[in-house]
Amino acid sequence: MKTITIDPITRLEGHGKITIFLNDQGNVENAYLQIPELRGFERFAQGRRAEDMPQITSRICGVCPVAHHFAATKALDAAFNVDPPSAAKKLRELMYMGYYIYDHILHFYYLGGPDFVVGPDAPPAKRNIIGVIEKAGLEIGKEVIKHRAYGQKITAILGGKATHPVCGLPGGVSKGLNKDEVKEIDRMVDSCIEFAKFSLKLFDDIVLKNKKYVDLILSDPYQLATYNMGLVDKNNKVNFYDGKIRVSDQKGEEILKFVVKDYTKHIVERVEEWSYIKFPFLKSIGWNGFTDGKDSGIYRVGPLGRLNAADGMATKLADKEYKRMFETLGGKPVNSTLAFHWARLIELLYATERAKELVNDSEITSQKIRNPVGEPGEGIGVTEAARGTLIHHYKLTDNGLIDKANLIVATTNNAGAINMSVRNAAKGMIKKGDVSNATLNMVEMAFRAYDPCFACATHTLPGGMPLEVNIYNSNKKLLKTLRQNI
Amino acid sequence: MKTIVLGIGNVILSDDGVGIHVSREIKKRIIDKNVTVDEAITGGMNLLDLIIGYDKAIIIDAVKSKDDEHGLVRRIPLSDFNTLHSCNPHDVSLMEAIEMAKKMGEKRIPEQIIVIGIMMKEIPCEFGETLSDEIQATVPKAIKLTLNELKNKI
Repeated sequence: MKTITIDPITRLEGHGKITIFLNDQGNVENAYLQIPELRGFERFAQGRRAEDMPQITSRICGVCPVAHHFAATKALDAAFNVDPPSAAKKLRELMYMGYYIYDHILHFYYLGGPDFVVGPDAPPAKRNIIGVIEKAGLEIGKEVIKHRAYGQKITAILGGKATHPVCGLPGGVSKGLNKDEVKEIDRMVDSCIEFAKFSLKLFDDIVLKNKKYVDLILSDPYQLATYNMGLVDKNNKVNFYDGKIRVSDQKGEEILKFVVKDYTKHIVERVEEWSYIKFPFLKSIGWNGFTDGKDSGIYRVGPLGRLNAADGMATKLADKEYKRMFETLGGKPVNSTLAFHWARLIELLYATERAKELVNDSEITSQKIRNPVGEPGEGIGVTEAARGTLIHHYKLTDNGLIDKANLIVATTNNAGAINMSVRNAAKGMIKKGDVSNATLNMVEMAFRAYDPCFACATHTLPGGMPLEVNIYNSNKKLLKTLRQNI
Repeated sequence: MKTIVLGIGNVILSDDGVGIHVSREIKKRIIDKNVTVDEAITGGMNLLDLIIGYDKAIIIDAVKSKDDEHGLVRRIPLSDFNTLHSCNPHDVSLMEAIEMAKKMGEKRIPEQIIVIGIMMKEIPCEFGETLSDEIQATVPKAIKLTLNELKNKI
C-alpha cells in the first residue's frame, strides 16, 4: 500500500472533513475524518474561580450544556472534598434524565432516524425530519415536538434555564423542587415513558421488520470490534450520572473497572499530526494504530458502548429491551455501528423510567440540598454525556482558583472509533470509483450513528454541521468535493 | 408589531461571540416595549423557540462564508440562505426547524426574519473572551444595520 501523508496545513478548523483516497481500481485505499477541536481551554480556565466552571463549561457546547455542567460540578465536589446530600444527587440526576430525553429524541427523529425512516438512498432533500413526518404522519411529528419540549422543560424547572443550567454547586444544588413542580414533572414523565415505548415500536416496525435494514446493520462495513466503555452502578447496570467506569472486551467480558480519579492510569491521549483532536486509548492494551480487535486499545463510548460495557439496564422495561437487542443482534457485544440508534432508544426508555423513580422519591422535595465545602484541592468528575463518557479534571490553587484543567469529551473518546468506522464504510461502499451521493451517505451514516459533537460548529448560521468530503484518485488528484452547510 | 433582536454566538470563543457583543450594545440603546433584545448560544430548534410569537426577528450572528470578505457586515433575509438537508449530528438548521413547524401548523413564526451577518472566512476554535481587532471593527456597522432594521416595517 502506498503511504499517504496529509500535510498538516490541511487540518481544518470549524468544520468536519472526510478525505477519501482511491486506488487505481477506484476502490478505497484509505479514508480520514478530521473534526475540529476547541483549543486553549486550559489556558482559558487558568486563574478563574473554580465555582464558575459549571457555568463556563456549559457554554462549550450548545447541545451538551447539562453534561458539562454536571461533570464540572462533580469535579468541584471532589476538588472541595464534599459529598452532596442524597437529595441533591437525586435532583441532579433527575435533571440529567430531562437532558437525555430531549437529546436522544432529537437525534433519533431529526438526525439519525431519517436514514432509516426515509431510507439511506433517498435524495438528501427528503432525508430529514420533514421526510420522516411525510412518511410517519403529522401526528408523530407533533408527539416528537411535544416530548422533546418536555425533556427541556424538566431540565429548565430544575436547572433554571435548559440551555444554561445554573443549579450545580460544589456540595449540592442551589434549588430544590416544590410539590407543584413534582406534579408537573411527573405528568410529563408519564407521557415520555409512553413516547419512548412508541419510539421503540416504530424502530421495530420500520427497521427491524425490514430485512434490507437488518442486513445493512449487520453488514461488514459497519462492524467494529473495539473495546467498550461506560459508567455502571454497583450492579453493573448502565448509569448516566454516576458510578464506576467499566471497560469490556470483544467477548463482552469486563477487563477494567475503575473510579474516575484513576483515569490517567488507564487512558492515554494520543496525538496524531494530521488532527487536532486527540485519540485516547487504553493504556494496558496499548496503541496499535487505527485497528480494532483485542490488540488495539481503541474503545467506544456512547449508547452502544455503554450497553456493551454494562450487564443490563436498571429499570424494568429498558432492561427487557436491552436483552431483546442483544438476542436479536447475536449476543454481546454488538459491534454494529448502526446499532447505536437502537441502543439510543433503549436509553431513552431508561431515562424516562429512571425519571419516574426519581420524581416519586420521597426525598425529592427535601430542602437539604447542599453540604458545606472543604479546602480546595484537586478534583475529577465524570458523567455520561448523551454521546459518551465525559471527564473534567481540575487542580485548584489554595485560593480556590483553577490552576490546571483538562477535559476529555465524549467525541474525543470516540475519535479513534469514528475514524475507523468512516474508513471501513468508505472501503465497503465505494467500489470502482462510484462516489454518488447515495454511496457517500452510506459513509456518512457510519459517523452520524455516533452523534458526534463538534463544539465550535454548533450554532453558526445557517445552522447545520458543516461537512466537506474530498475524494482523491490514485494520483492524489481531487476527483470530487461535496460540501454540506459550508 | 413585536420584534426580537437576538445576538447569537459563544462569548467564550472570541469572534464567534460577535453577535452577542452587538446585541448587548443594542440593549443599552433601545427602550421600546415592542422590542425585545436577547442573546443565545443556540441554533436550529432552540433558536426557533426563542423567536416564535414575534412578528419580526433580527438575528445577529457570525456567518461563515467563503465568498465574502472577512469582516463584511451584511443584511441577509433568512430566505436567501439555501435550505440544506440534515447532515448535522447535532441540531437541524433554522430553515429546517421552521419548515417543520409550519408543517405542524405553527402560526406564530415571525413574518420576517432578517440576519445581520458578520461574514467570516473561518470562525475560530480557540477559547477567548475578546474579539479580534478585525471583528471588533465590524461592531459599529452591525449596530447601525440592526438599528436601521428596527426602523423598517415589514
